[in-house]
Amino acid sequence: MVTKTEENQLNRLESQVDNGGSGAWEYLCLVRKLKLRRSDKVLKHGLSILNNPSKRSALGPEEWTLYEQVAVAAMDCQSLDVAKDCIKVLQKKFPDSKRVGRLEALLLEAKGSWELAEKAYSSLLEDNPLDQTIHKRRVAMAKAQGNIPGAIEWLNKYLEIFMADHDAWRELGEIYVSLQMYKQAAFCYEELILSQPTVPLYHLAYADVLYTLGGLENLQTAKKYYTSTIDLTGGKNTRALFGVCLCTSAIAQITKGKSKEEKEGAQVQSLAAKVLEKDYKQRAPDKLPQLTTALKSLTLSS
Amino acid sequence: MALDFAIGVFGVLILFHAAYSTIQYRGLLKITEEEFSGPPFNVVIELSLGLVLCMWAWASLTVPGKFLSIHPDSEKNRIVSLPANLDFMIFNHRGKVFPVEMDLKLKQ
Repeated sequence: MVTKTEENQLNRLESQVDNGGSGAWEYLCLVRKLKLRRSDKVLKHGLSILNNPSKRSALGPEEWTLYEQVAVAAMDCQSLDVAKDCIKVLQKKFPDSKRVGRLEALLLEAKGSWELAEKAYSSLLEDNPLDQTIHKRRVAMAKAQGNIPGAIEWLNKYLEIFMADHDAWRELGEIYVSLQMYKQAAFCYEELILSQPTVPLYHLAYADVLYTLGGLENLQTAKKYYTSTIDLTGGKNTRALFGVCLCTSAIAQITKGKSKEEKEGAQVQSLAAKVLEKDYKQRAPDKLPQLTTALKSLTLSS
Repeated sequence: MALDFAIGVFGVLILFHAAYSTIQYRGLLKITEEEFSGPPFNVVIELSLGLVLCMWAWASLTVPGKFLSIHPDSEKNRIVSLPANLDFMIFNHRGKVFPVEMDLKLKQ
């Protein structure tokens, strides 16, 4: 989870390193800790450290982690020679390592030789039948080959064994959303919220899925989850604020002819609208008139 | 930080004042020839106050450097984005068609 301070720190380090300053190792450690996908920058700055023998020896034992990180980044940027060289260095240092074996299979995947990679993963699994990363790579391979139903099947089998892996639940939810199977996606996000109730972005994704499903009950639940996202982010998440406004107007449209007891919904909507206007005035004042007309049309149609 | 240091200095001064009052009290007891059982009640209060102030200053100056917010929705702690789910990363994305920078090589 990337917090606001960490994001600020990351942006600062990134601009510092991009403009030729020092702190490349700090930046790479931060990217590794926050598990971000900044492959082009990692490749560039990682290679600048590795190609410099004095900086490389200054790292000590962390040098090998850097080789691994640069190898994966190189594969993502399709610089397969760099990746092969890094893996060769790691193989020389750690000849019988499973971690290096995984990297080699990953390189086969990046090259596109799916059968060889599958064979490599199966042989690695024979020694270690409960290795989570290899199971997940098989899912990723199925996804990369375009076999989405196969990926779903592998992922479901994986989740039957490792039910607590929230990365896998998140991946399954995203796959279901891409296939428009929203009910199943809602189930996945429910699992995520159960295991980590204080992460607001899961509430937000769940509310999005419920809003897409539609129907009065789903819309009311979606509004509740948008408000809980606003609560957990201190009111700074613009998407949740918009979500509240849209949900209220959609609910009002459905219940147009029926009894009008609930007037407290309008209060939440007006508060959210006020916060949005204030935010836009501060950050994007030229878009403020568009926002006010859009919000007015939402309240008028209800 | 300067405020915490000032609080610490103030706490130490209070402790010194309490010590001075106890010495004066003992002098008084010597005059009236009574046993010294313990410092008077207000000196005890002064001692505990000095202790609290010194502990506060020490905690805020050394451990952990500054007090961090514990609210999950504070401006500093709020979660802005999720990690990129690197276990399921695939490599045949549209970025493959970008030209590779030729000078990127690992020197042996």
